[in-house]
Amino acid sequence: MPQPAKPLPSASLHIVLALLDGESHGYALIGRVAELSDGAVRMGPGTLYGTLNRLVDDGLIEETTDRVRRDDSERRRYYTLTGSGRAVAVDELVRLQGLVHRIAAHLPGGAIA
Amino acid sequence: MNSSRAVGIYRTLLRVYPRRFRDEYRDDMALLFAEQLHDGSASRVWARSLIDLTITIPARHLEAHMNRPPNPAVPVLFAALSVTGVVTAILAGSNLAIAGFGLAVAVMAGVLAVASWRTTRAVTAERPASAHWWQILLGGVGVLATTIVVLNIIGEVPDGWWVPMMLTLLAGIMTTATGLILGVAHLTTHRPHNATG
Repeated sequence: MPQPAKPLPSASLHIVLALLDGESHGYALIGRVAELSDGAVRMGPGTLYGTLNRLVDDGLIEETTDRVRRDDSERRRYYTLTGSGRAVAVDELVRLQGLVHRIAAHLPGGAIA
Repeated sequence: MNSSRAVGIYRTLLRVYPRRFRDEYRDDMALLFAEQLHDGSASRVWARSLIDLTITIPARHLEAHMNRPPNPAVPVLFAALSVTGVVTAILAGSNLAIAGFGLAVAVMAGVLAVASWRTTRAVTAERPASAHWWQILLGGVGVLATTIVVLNIIGEVPDGWWVPMMLTLLAGIMTTATGLILGVAHLTTHRPHNATG
């Protein structure tokens, strides 16, 4: 039986899920992560760029800064999911959904209040 | 404190990150910090950023250290130490304490030599560290020969000279073993190829 993929660390998970919407830059990513986590996760610059660096090395995201013509003149870096990054993000979503369903099934009443 | 001064201080703090990470992301991190200052409360942004720096600076240094290529000399030194342990055990004769110590050193250094060789063999294949094997071997043999000649000339080791003499002998054995191991590794992995076609 194939081994299930290892879950992503928390910061990586939030970033790949935030990038499911499409390419983004650092500041927008921090905002998107805060929005998706209902304000629970607020990344600092060191956490964000350390995680982006690791995700690029792992081939899950890639930089698209020079690929698309930008309206703004600022020197921002833009990132997007690669094919395998998108697959990993979707796998993580499915894993989290399964986790929620299994936990809900074991709760009294079968649902999360 | 005005915004540009705050960003200047933040940029100074970024110098503590490892050079490679800093060179790659310093401008982006400073820009992000400036944007956060522009949109939020300065005290909150500073508090969050200082916590972020405290957590991520050691993490980035640890990553940088772990990604550093392993030193190809390490397995050779462990192997030489292992051989020295074996020789010490043989020379110890009936002295079981020294023989046991020599064997323990031989086993532990041998295990470490194999473990470190497994992590460095890709590096040693690209950058042969064994090209100077014959110089190391000659050095070791020279130390051993000199020590033996001196011992023969003086006949009896004077008081207080026994420990330095033994240490010199062990250093000679270890250097000779290093040269031999490097020589075998070099000659087996860097055989001249016959030119074809």
